Amino acid sequence: MSKDNDKNKDDEATDINENTDANDTVEKIGVYICHCGGNISDHVDVEKVAESVKNIPGVTKVHTNSFMCSDPGQELIEKDIKSGSINRVVVASCAPSLHESTFRGAIKRADMNPFLYDHANIREQVSWVHDGEPATAKASILVKSSIEKARGLKALDVLKVDAKKHVLIVGGGIAGMRSGLDLAKQGFEVAILEKSPFLGGQASKLSRLAPSYEYAKDLIVELYTQLSKQNKVTFYTCAEMSSFKGYIGNFDVTLTREPSDAVKSKSKGEFVENRGIFIDNIPKETEEIAITIGAVVMATGFKTYEPAEDEFGFNKLEPVTTLEQFIQDYKKAETKKGILYLNNKKIKRIAFIHCVGSRQIPGIHEPDKNGNLNEYCSRTCCSSTLQAAERIKTTCPNTDVFDFYRDIRTYGRFQEDIYDSASEKGVMFFRFEPDAQPEVTENKNGKFPISIKTKDVLTFNEEIEVDVDLVVLVTGIIPNDISSMINMMKLPVGTDKFLQEVHPKLRPVEVANTGILLAGTCQAPMDITESCAAAQAASVKATALLYKGFVELDPFVAQVDTELCKGHGECLKVCPVDNTIEIDKVAKVNPALCTGCGICTAVCPENAIDVMGWSLKQYEKMVDAILAA
Amino acid sequence: MNSRKKLNFDTVVIGGGIAGLQTAIDLGDQGFKVAIIEKDATIGGTMIRLSKVFPTLDCASCITTPKMSEAAHHDNITLFTMCTLNALDKESNKVTASITQQPRYLDPDKCIGCRQCEYNCPVYVLDEEQGDLTLRKAAYIPFSNAIPQLALIDVENCSLCGKCAKVCPTDAIDYFQEPEDFIIEARTAVVTTGFNMTPADQKKEYGQGKIENVITALQMERILAPHGPYMRALRPSDGKEPESIAFIQCAGSRDKSLGVSYCSRVCCMYAIKQCMLLSGSLPLADLTIYYMDIRAFGKGYEQFYQNAKAMGIEFVKSKIASISQGADQSVALKYEAQEEGGKLATREHDLVVLSLGIVPEWDPTGICDIAKDTDQFIQCKMPKIAPTITSIEGMFTAGVASGPKDIVDTIAESGAAAMEAGNYMKHYH
Repeated sequence: MSKDNDKNKDDEATDINENTDANDTVEKIGVYICHCGGNISDHVDVEKVAESVKNIPGVTKVHTNSFMCSDPGQELIEKDIKSGSINRVVVASCAPSLHESTFRGAIKRADMNPFLYDHANIREQVSWVHDGEPATAKASILVKSSIEKARGLKALDVLKVDAKKHVLIVGGGIAGMRSGLDLAKQGFEVAILEKSPFLGGQASKLSRLAPSYEYAKDLIVELYTQLSKQNKVTFYTCAEMSSFKGYIGNFDVTLTREPSDAVKSKSKGEFVENRGIFIDNIPKETEEIAITIGAVVMATGFKTYEPAEDEFGFNKLEPVTTLEQFIQDYKKAETKKGILYLNNKKIKRIAFIHCVGSRQIPGIHEPDKNGNLNEYCSRTCCSSTLQAAERIKTTCPNTDVFDFYRDIRTYGRFQEDIYDSASEKGVMFFRFEPDAQPEVTENKNGKFPISIKTKDVLTFNEEIEVDVDLVVLVTGIIPNDISSMINMMKLPVGTDKFLQEVHPKLRPVEVANTGILLAGTCQAPMDITESCAAAQAASVKATALLYKGFVELDPFVAQVDTELCKGHGECLKVCPVDNTIEIDKVAKVNPALCTGCGICTAVCPENAIDVMGWSLKQYEKMVDAILAA
Repeated sequence: MNSRKKLNFDTVVIGGGIAGLQTAIDLGDQGFKVAIIEKDATIGGTMIRLSKVFPTLDCASCITTPKMSEAAHHDNITLFTMCTLNALDKESNKVTASITQQPRYLDPDKCIGCRQCEYNCPVYVLDEEQGDLTLRKAAYIPFSNAIPQLALIDVENCSLCGKCAKVCPTDAIDYFQEPEDFIIEARTAVVTTGFNMTPADQKKEYGQGKIENVITALQMERILAPHGPYMRALRPSDGKEPESIAFIQCAGSRDKSLGVSYCSRVCCMYAIKQCMLLSGSLPLADLTIYYMDIRAFGKGYEQFYQNAKAMGIEFVKSKIASISQGADQSVALKYEAQEEGGKLATREHDLVVLSLGIVPEWDPTGICDIAKDTDQFIQCKMPKIAPTITSIEGMFTAGVASGPKDIVDTIAESGAAAMEAGNYMKHYH
């Protein structure tokens, strides 16, 4: 029963100043405060906040709701607008990044200008970091300051700019090819930028793929065949991006193509082992190409971790190799009497060591020379290692295979089957703890050149020594070095050095910069299935952005009062975005380029430039409100 | 009465969980008209019923409601809740879905979601939305952020007392409402039917659901959710604040004896997440995860796992051999203690959570010719380079319908399905 009462309370509305319909030009502010199901109300006394603002002049409605973003919550706002009770909206809830567009949508549905709305963040800025009385007090202050800001809001129109139906894909690996194909099918022009003369990326180095045993080459050829049938696709191989300017819908990009002596005798479209599909248009001399595009798909991929000198004997002991190299060598492997021969060497015993360069733990693992640790799991290596182990036992049953692991992560569809099959075929597993890594040493007098010592968790920490012919280090995935593009395009990068998406759950293929999308392993380690899904998700976002031929941008941009402006050009000096401001007697702002950062407003000696929706006057009112409280 | 309504759309999306919603939004944003068919009274699927999500610890309600709301208010998307799919056929470039909409026993056009019926209903029944851990009424709205905000009457439990009809301010209640059949014709279909958990009473060694204080992970999600059954973390049998809580991993996965040989892919991470949330609400409780391998493979997941270890959550590598009732309603676990030389050990916990396996929610047999794979999930025809294409041209799939997946992989795949469906309609239609 008490629950029912609680629910009744959620919708408590306070009606004040009922004489509001006297004059429609007067600000009538509706305040909507969210419990966030407890996220806010566990720490903030929401009803008290409501009480504290209801008598502020101009506030005509105050509502609280357990989830303001839910339909019933939004309907409160719509109802108040439609009934004429309010003409400004203040929502106090989570960060505006989560729900600003939700509430703008609700306001729009009620036929009010969606920019007559301000948002107070009382979750991230209050309830998640404060508790008790101070939390309630701070929430109150933030709502009051938001009310004062809302008072000065003016109706704004979204900016409409033409958008080119032309997409640049950066990277010609599997993800880039997949995305390019989708967008070409949409009828968009597609430019694929690739630094090598080949398409196919890292997948070209692979052989049969886990868990389906398809050949990577076949997938690359299939994608290329489909791509080459599309008539709006241009391959810019041997190319790098040399400049990047503009905004969504109209990015100006320069590509620089350099001659390459990679492969001369190959014909166009031929698959070259370990390198990919050869695109026969290598430039004779350096050339620069300028293109204008509407959106960019980043598909810059990964490289494998290179073990440090003597990490598990790497580069010191000859029979220590990486999984990447092993896959190459295994393509030419031979079998004699059920024993594996690699590069004409008999491999009677082989060991794989997992998590080399992945899952590194501060305090346990050595950082690299730049102080980096790869703390993440590289996701794909367990399955590819087990498949390699399983293949060896299938084709060379007399070679012994040892697998040193921390956790076996065969999480994907049908991957567990490979693990089962490898176990059934006699692969021997040893489990080690991160702080007791296997020791790889030279075995001078023994039958086998390498000795591996470990404490095996599976046999209750028994000290185990295994002598082998070859050690394969299962090296992880690290993002390709694209620092020049990161600088040019101002891309966000995570602590793991991969490109950083807007929201790791709900918006995995978008970055904060509108018009730039992420496909595949530039964002995080992924297998081919996951890369292709991400690439197609990036394609669909690019399609939705561009298919109408125009894009809509927020109107929070700098505006010049031409009466006041004397053309000093102080704004131009501090503007961080090239070409946004030009001075022609007075300052002129290109609204599509302006990010609304407001630095110009701070330096203008005449106070002639201001950001729409975030004016200096509004800030003063907000500060006054904060100080008054 | 029997002339069946026929509606036309570009795409019919089967299932209104996060996969279906994202697919519909990504198709709607390309200008296609989409119908979402949902069997429940609300859209949102499993995700809206979760507490918080890993590894960001965002509250699930906070990040699912905007998607639900976006779909519900999208100009190009139409929602159909309480719908059973009777048949889904593909013939000569046309997908036909034959659907029965179950009655809510009220007029949805009249219902304003005021909940007067719910407040006044005298019948209490177990609330499946709260993992059967508390009660709801027979006339009710599933939960406070359900979409649409329409009540329904649980006719199996309704006492026909007539109170709801009396208090309804809009005269919406209609005890004689009949199921309604209708047909949707579309150019494409996307199957986003999601998942179910393996039954908790399946495994003999685990007490077949008869041991007190052994709950499922989804019940724990509700206990931890902001509007949970107890509004705090308690154990069900006696309301005691548990001092020791254990999680049993692979309690329905990687287990051939249950016919689920695959990994369910999300259980490691949700168990770690639930431990983290519990350590917030019960700072003194001992938290233990019994596991085979910790599969923290996604972006930021390994770091999440290492943080959990650093917080003092205990990870015991062992497959639990058996579960039995211990003293004072506690739960006794028998396992091989690897740290102690492999000897058989028994430990008692106040509350035990089973990480059950993930199985498909929907079996197409007899409804649609779409192929299943050996794991019973929808088969992917080109699993590598076009992961959403199924055995039937013009029908696509996304999310857990084609195998266990976390939310972020589901979101990406939903975008991919929307891209494939969009391009299919552009070219082959």
